[in-house]
Amino acid sequence: MKKQLYFIVITLGLFSGCKKTAFETVERTSGTADFKQYISVGNSLTQGYQDAGLYEEGQSMSYPSIIAQQMKIAQPNMAEFRQPMVSGNGSGYMHLGYINGSLKPISSDDPGGYQPDGSWDAWGQAEKNQKFNNLGIAGVKLIQCVNTYSDDNTTNAIILGGLDVTVPIIGTNYTQDGNPFSRYLDFGEAEVNVPVIGNIGGTAKSYLDHVKESNATFFTCWLGNNDVLGYVVNGGTPNLVENNTIGLSVDLNALSDEFEFEEKYDEIIKAFKNQGAQGVCSTLPNVTSIPFVTTFTVASLKADYNYNKVWITDLNENVREATEEDYILLHASEGISNGRGTSQATPFTNYDVLDRDEATLAKNHTLKLNGIIRKIAGSYGYPIADMYTYMDNLSAGYTFEGIDMDISYIQGGTFSLDGIHPNPRGYAVVANEFIRVINAAYNSNIPKVSVGAYRGILFP
Amino acid sequence: MKKIIFSALVMANLAAFAGGFQVNLQGVRSVAMGGAYVGLAHGPATTFFNPGGLTNIEGHRLSLGLNTIHPSISLQTEVNDNIDLTSSMSTPIYFYYGGQITEKLYVGFGINNQFGSSSSFEDNWQGRFIVQNISLKTFMFQPTVAYKIHDKISIGAGLVYTTGVFSYEKAVPLSSSSSADGKARLEGKANSISFNVGLYSKLIETDKIELGIGADYRSGMKLSLEEGLATFTNIPSSLTGTFPEQTNFKGEINLPSVTTAGLAFTYKFNEKNELTFVYDYALNGWSSYDTLAFDFENEATPDAKTPKNWKNAVAHRFGLEYKLDKLFFRVGTYYDQSPVEENNVSPEAPERSHMAPTFGFGMKVSDMIEFDISYINQRYSGETATGELGFEYKYNRRINVLSVSATITLGKNKNTSIEE
Repeated sequence: MKKQLYFIVITLGLFSGCKKTAFETVERTSGTADFKQYISVGNSLTQGYQDAGLYEEGQSMSYPSIIAQQMKIAQPNMAEFRQPMVSGNGSGYMHLGYINGSLKPISSDDPGGYQPDGSWDAWGQAEKNQKFNNLGIAGVKLIQCVNTYSDDNTTNAIILGGLDVTVPIIGTNYTQDGNPFSRYLDFGEAEVNVPVIGNIGGTAKSYLDHVKESNATFFTCWLGNNDVLGYVVNGGTPNLVENNTIGLSVDLNALSDEFEFEEKYDEIIKAFKNQGAQGVCSTLPNVTSIPFVTTFTVASLKADYNYNKVWITDLNENVREATEEDYILLHASEGISNGRGTSQATPFTNYDVLDRDEATLAKNHTLKLNGIIRKIAGSYGYPIADMYTYMDNLSAGYTFEGIDMDISYIQGGTFSLDGIHPNPRGYAVVANEFIRVINAAYNSNIPKVSVGAYRGILFP
Repeated sequence: MKKIIFSALVMANLAAFAGGFQVNLQGVRSVAMGGAYVGLAHGPATTFFNPGGLTNIEGHRLSLGLNTIHPSISLQTEVNDNIDLTSSMSTPIYFYYGGQITEKLYVGFGINNQFGSSSSFEDNWQGRFIVQNISLKTFMFQPTVAYKIHDKISIGAGLVYTTGVFSYEKAVPLSSSSSADGKARLEGKANSISFNVGLYSKLIETDKIELGIGADYRSGMKLSLEEGLATFTNIPSSLTGTFPEQTNFKGEINLPSVTTAGLAFTYKFNEKNELTFVYDYALNGWSSYDTLAFDFENEATPDAKTPKNWKNAVAHRFGLEYKLDKLFFRVGTYYDQSPVEENNVSPEAPERSHMAPTFGFGMKVSDMIEFDISYINQRYSGETATGELGFEYKYNRRINVLSVSATITLGKNKNTSIEE
């Protein structure tokens, strides 16, 4: 009897405390790729822009920096991934306020908004002569990245780098603000044709030149979104930058010409190929997979805002009743609260609306550009991160690590408050998709990141 | 500003409540033989397995059992090389009594823990939005009667009173400047009344062979939570209307019905040597699990998400026992079908259809006392693809179960005494 009890006790002891199920550490490898010098090219998405601004925290969670952090696990001798960091609030950004018992997005320039950091105006000056790995520029179009045509040395250099030239002897000063988010790169001097004097300046440097000097061993290219997006988020209305004296005239919101796009996209990818770099090209997401476009529809205005009819101004400036195929853009929310669009006399403006014809134009253009991206990537042997298909699939709603997400505004958990750019959790989802494609194409096994480890929208 | 509704964001994927919770450890002799017992229906444990078999009891018999379950479960994801699940050793017990009252009337009583386990993960683990900690404890009390309706056929029925306590914690994906995630804790007590009926027949009984068959139906348990308590912490203050510090909830957890049919065949070589083969076929009615839903008193709180696609699952249980005078050597195996598609299984209880071997040993110390010991070694590995939880992982699962019991026999068989 006693012996039996001993036996039982000893056996119990043997079984407890064993942990034989643990997995061994996975050996990481960069496979056939070399991540030594990873360069990311792209626009706002690449720069880490979100909540309608570039700020320190957001930038530190850009998808390229997430990818780089994980690449380093697969290839420890990888060079430091450098980003041109802003400080604190950076350019200023939107946040969510809680006013009179309801949540309200507050813009940077609203009362109580998160205003630009004191260092913002000077940001980029000290960085100009440094080398960065993340070459994202919020707002940049692909066609601004390569100076192919005769006027590119003027327009691209001015749009990206601004203009500040003084005509010799006469002393006339010509200035034009450039894209503030590209200030960390040197675009040289624009070639400007000044009346009487003729051409001055003319040592313009292109974005492509920076790519050529990047020493990339690996790249991700997600350029081209703004070649459609500017048109979309402005309801198809133009944004002209004109200076008659120096002969500058460009519509920043125009859909980029597809032949020009093809020529210039090829130049960028060829520049990487010539450096012997490996990499990934990404397609452009569908314009209807962002809450900026999809939040307000005829159905939602009728259901949530007591609209009987919804009146809009279409691309030909005709006023008509909206259909389910028309999108009222997010920046119309202020107008909605004032009853805009409830009557034929006070329709939503052309700028407020991406009407069905504009939406079709933009969708078709996206498909065309994606066809070009696929073709060129294929011709150089680079794999595609198909963000078009990926984001389209996510539109229906998805779950990561038990977190239910979709693309709806604020509660969807994917996008930041600007309704166009992901929040950090959304960027983590994007980074994981890039990592999946890289691993599949190059036999590497970069670990993915935990989506839940990145925050969604911050609630007050 | 559009009204913000968090319909999708939040609640529990309550798949966490089900998998791995059923404890098939209700008799050490049975455990050693793959879990089969319905056709054998021999000792006091038949109160649970097949009340009809109580008529096999000679005199008054008591059985006390203790199981020690040692789980070890590890996961690997594309993010983490290894995640060890911390499951405390659980120790379900049972007590059974069976006795003869009149020539044809028998009674039984059982106390056991049919469902229960507790698991937790390290704080801040990758799947915390699915489950952080979970625990379910149940106690069942079953008064039972059995009646010999024919020389070869008896029927038995018991009323099962169940009382259970559960708690469940998970992270809520809402961030504020002061806190990365919110937390939700659901806890409650529930009771239910269900029943257990069984039919038993000793079809053949000769000097050389015995054949018993049986069938049993244990009804599902509707554990209704009247006063469940949900506690939300670290919720951004603008959302405390949706997720208040505390709110009550009502709900129901439906534990499955179990229908079993089995047989036991014994060949007697001589007075001291016997070989017994047992087989049970069981159908676990997990499809009832579909109906799980929690309704919060605070109207703004979104109701809990229910798991989908649970299916009824079958089990096959085989066992052999060799009796050598006062010693019993047992071996068996079982095949358990998983009620849920592998991809949708909550990570604290990864499972798929599997087989496991069982072993056991029994010893009659005297006419009054018998000791039994059994051991199950369940181990398997698997890999899930993206399912409803959005959580892919590989897993290694190993569960050792050691069970011991003592069975005491008092008094004598009434038939015998009458004949004598």
